[in-house]
Amino acid sequence: MAKFHYALVLLFIAVCAVGVNAGFRLKISRHWRIFLATDAVILALYTAWDVWAIENHNWRFDSKQIVRINLFGILPIEEILFFILVPLMTVLTYLALKKLGAKYGRSVAP
Amino acid sequence: MIYSDIAMDAVLLAVLADLFVLRTQMITRGIFWLTYGLILPFQLLTNWWLTSKNIVMYSATEIIGRRLAGAPIEDLLFGFSMILATLSLWEFFLALNRRSTKK
Repeated sequence: MAKFHYALVLLFIAVCAVGVNAGFRLKISRHWRIFLATDAVILALYTAWDVWAIENHNWRFDSKQIVRINLFGILPIEEILFFILVPLMTVLTYLALKKLGAKYGRSVAP
Repeated sequence: MIYSDIAMDAVLLAVLADLFVLRTQMITRGIFWLTYGLILPFQLLTNWWLTSKNIVMYSATEIIGRRLAGAPIEDLLFGFSMILATLSLWEFFLALNRRSTKK
């Protein structure tokens, strides 16, 4: 089971994302184009940084704690999913707080 | 300490993009800082899991060495840059979409 240690983090974020999306009725799927455009930029920049950093030994992953599907030969698939799930969770958190602000008057947005 | 350098550059680039390229001014909005403040403890939690179990290991020569919740302090800069870039891009594409559907 150790090979799912990194994947467990992703599962945790995914569960939070589904919960927040449903709980706050954010209907994020309606904005899939906006999210796709946003994450395409994030994925391009941060996977490039990640690949470069791994190649240059800035950091490395324990091969026993990842599922061992690597992109470009060296980038664990968990990292790709991380760069999709974390931006998704970021947007959901932002939308949920915006909704709360709108509901309880005194908007936090200018 | 190349990770330290790149992480600082990432924050700088995200701020410059937010203010002058995408012109979303996220860092001037309270809602942005509220969102960041809410995500930060979760970043520390996942950082702690990933580093305390040595799932990810950092080269000692590429970081300044100060750590928070197990992870190099540089990770805070990385996380901030990604959250800012994400929300800035989101608002940018949202506005772009609104403008194109209005026509």
